[in-house]
Amino acid sequence: MQFASTIRSPYHRGRNAKVIIDTLPNGFSSILPDDLSAHNIPSLFSEGIPIFASQQISYRGEALGLIIGPDPGICDELAALARVECDEEEPEHEWESFSSSQIVFHYGAEHGDLDAMFAAASTQLKEVYRNGIFDHHYSEPMGALARWDKTTLSIHCATQWPDDLRRRLAGALAISESNIVVHPTEMGRALDGRLWFPSLVAAQAAVASRISGKPVRILYTREEDFLHTTKQARSAINIRSGSDEQGRLLALDIVILINLGAYNPLAPEIVYQAVSAITGIYSCPAIRIEAYAIRSNTIPLGAMGSVGATHAFFAIEAHMNNLAQRYSKHPAEIKALNMLKKGQSIFGAPDLSGDIPFNRIHKELEQISDYPRKYASYELVKKRDPGCREGIVRGIALTLGYQTGRSFSECSGMNLYSVEATLDRELRLLIKTQATIGSESLKAMWRKTAAEILSIHEDHVHFLLPENTHSLPSGPMTLSRGSSLIHALIEKTCRNIQKKRFRESLPISATARTRPSKAKTNPEALFLGAQLLDSASWCGTAVEVEIDALTGKPIPLAVWMVIDAGRIVNVQIALASLRASALSALAFCTANDFDPSESGRKDYIADAGMRIRQLPKIEIEFIEPDRNGAAKGIGELPFITIPAAFYSALTQALGLDPRQLPLKGGEILRLLEGA
Amino acid sequence: MIIDVSVNGIQRHLKSRNGDRLVDVLKKELGLSSLTADCLQGRCGKCLIFMDGRIVHSCLIPAFKARGSSIVTFEGIAKKPEVMDIEKAFQLTQTQPCSFCHTAKIMTIFDLLSRVPLPNEDDIVEALDMVPCPCSDPIGLIQAVKLAAELRNKRKFNREA
Ligand code: FES
Ligand code: FES
Repeated sequence: MQFASTIRSPYHRGRNAKVIIDTLPNGFSSILPDDLSAHNIPSLFSEGIPIFASQQISYRGEALGLIIGPDPGICDELAALARVECDEEEPEHEWESFSSSQIVFHYGAEHGDLDAMFAAASTQLKEVYRNGIFDHHYSEPMGALARWDKTTLSIHCATQWPDDLRRRLAGALAISESNIVVHPTEMGRALDGRLWFPSLVAAQAAVASRISGKPVRILYTREEDFLHTTKQARSAINIRSGSDEQGRLLALDIVILINLGAYNPLAPEIVYQAVSAITGIYSCPAIRIEAYAIRSNTIPLGAMGSVGATHAFFAIEAHMNNLAQRYSKHPAEIKALNMLKKGQSIFGAPDLSGDIPFNRIHKELEQISDYPRKYASYELVKKRDPGCREGIVRGIALTLGYQTGRSFSECSGMNLYSVEATLDRELRLLIKTQATIGSESLKAMWRKTAAEILSIHEDHVHFLLPENTHSLPSGPMTLSRGSSLIHALIEKTCRNIQKKRFRESLPISATARTRPSKAKTNPEALFLGAQLLDSASWCGTAVEVEIDALTGKPIPLAVWMVIDAGRIVNVQIALASLRASALSALAFCTANDFDPSESGRKDYIADAGMRIRQLPKIEIEFIEPDRNGAAKGIGELPFITIPAAFYSALTQALGLDPRQLPLKGGEILRLLEGA
Repeated sequence: MIIDVSVNGIQRHLKSRNGDRLVDVLKKELGLSSLTADCLQGRCGKCLIFMDGRIVHSCLIPAFKARGSSIVTFEGIAKKPEVMDIEKAFQLTQTQPCSFCHTAKIMTIFDLLSRVPLPNEDDIVEALDMVPCPCSDPIGLIQAVKLAAELRNKRKFNREA
């Protein structure tokens, strides 16, 4: 086997890159873009993403080639010694005021008479809410092992989306998908950091293996992974609202900007997810939304936790809290006043068929968090000590959010999930699905469901390895999007088998697939329509925060979550997964913001999320679990609700509105000083 | 240079270059797969070993410093009943760590329980903090350590009785 180290661009932006390598020791060689053309290997992914950059460098650290050889340490040293020349260009780091050439994807929609409604409004409020870049902190650095066996390419790689990897590689290398076997390797919680980037690393290993004729392994160091792989996108969401005397929304004019760095093939999906979440749970007669995915000369940026919805929920909830302040009302009062109600809809979509479970969740949440008492006393403290000079400062806030299992984009295969199950004569159930890359706890949950429906022992439920399931397409396994769909499909196949079981002889097979999205027909109604909420899982979250008087550091003291998500298949697994996600979501609120313009900053690595000794109290309750209803996705709920609640609690504690997350202690102290 | 050291009870003569980290030498020379060194900064804990009985980050130790010492890695304790207790506790509490940190978590819990047979929550948090993990349920992990302590004490007590 050959090891490979990546030669990286020291420039943020440039043209005509040339890699200069001195004579290499015996056994070591380089793989550069010219080698690809010499071997007739295409060098681009379909979206124009180069396997190795040559004509255009788009970010510092972009891969320009590889050094391969028998010793990984020496490969690293040789790659670091490679010199790079190019026609350097001024990098585009600015993205909040962008040029048209920076627009990767744009989506706009308008509903109602915006001008008339703003004219009728008694109050207008305009704010920008910003989110920083955040790393996924997954457990293992990026890597891939590629091996050619005549015409068949086999790839070992930790990816959330093996189907995408195969499709992209087939396109990029101009070979048939059936000639690529993907072996997904074990993966911790990837939090959407491994949606498409592993395909790029796998393509690099694959071309190196093809050219060298030997298996090639690329394995990033942790530092390399932190500095040069994809992170959560930066966003700026500009909301202008118009409201009447009571605080009822009349008009919303929203501009969503998402900085996707150098590339992201999933730009449409990220934009659509943000758009679908931006109106939150609120109704408004006139809305205009302009959403842009912007390119800049930084590492590829993209999804995290809830694809694009975190940014949007945070912005709209923060705006509603601001609105409450403007009217000197309690945030819950303003939210309840503006909430979509049964029979209402937005964007001309079908009406909401039931009420949003706001009151039920809110009541329960108030009770377990002691919210009313704490809120009132923290308000009092803030009035007495507006500059937070007297000691302990705390804040508490509630927020309500939802998760839908919906993907909107036309990115190929995004919405396709399938399951095939066979019950054999020995009463063993064999489940075939690409989605078996999910965690062991997920498989345990699916196993339990299948065993219950078919009245067989859980040990008799087996999953076929993903490399043997190529005939069954699958979308990505994100936090809980893919897994809840797969769960529903497993239920469906098992029920079908059960129906036939005593009429037909064993073995009996059944297949189930998701239906492709109809997003093309009426996007506004589909993204923003009330019917989206009918099938959602709901979560109310309260967060209590304390500001350290000396350092300004915001310390999360407690998180309470009340969830209404239909049937919970395994409460213990659900709680464990929610608690882990809650910690990641809190880390997002307090971590260092990665600054791409100085992406050599190594101290960022030190900041690898929340430590167990900073653990706040986490209490989670499921309300009225519906024993017979459908199981809905819940994994994204912490990412959707916690940042918004954390931010609002911080706002209460500080008596200021910092309008950005994450926030470090130093920034908070500066804000307080300036207040 | 050659470093004479005992690793998991076997005397070894390990080849090393100037400036090599102990973790790299152990991996390269002995192929110890339990060492999944990651950060190389003493933060992730995935390189934990026992050196002369003390739990240490082998990524922070220059290889030459190990000369004459006695090193125990996960491979050296893997078959001990104390490790089985921990594995069982992971299983019963459904908190099995991923394969990247599995051995490191066992090392730190093993160390804790051999020092403090009845650890309180602070002891457990301090031990688990050696292997920070962004992906597992911390409360479940704390329960797992408590259960591992219980299983260990029960087994020892029964044996003694
Ligand atoms: S490799 Fe991370 S602590 Fe040693
Ligand atoms: S790093 Fe292994 S379970 Fe989190």
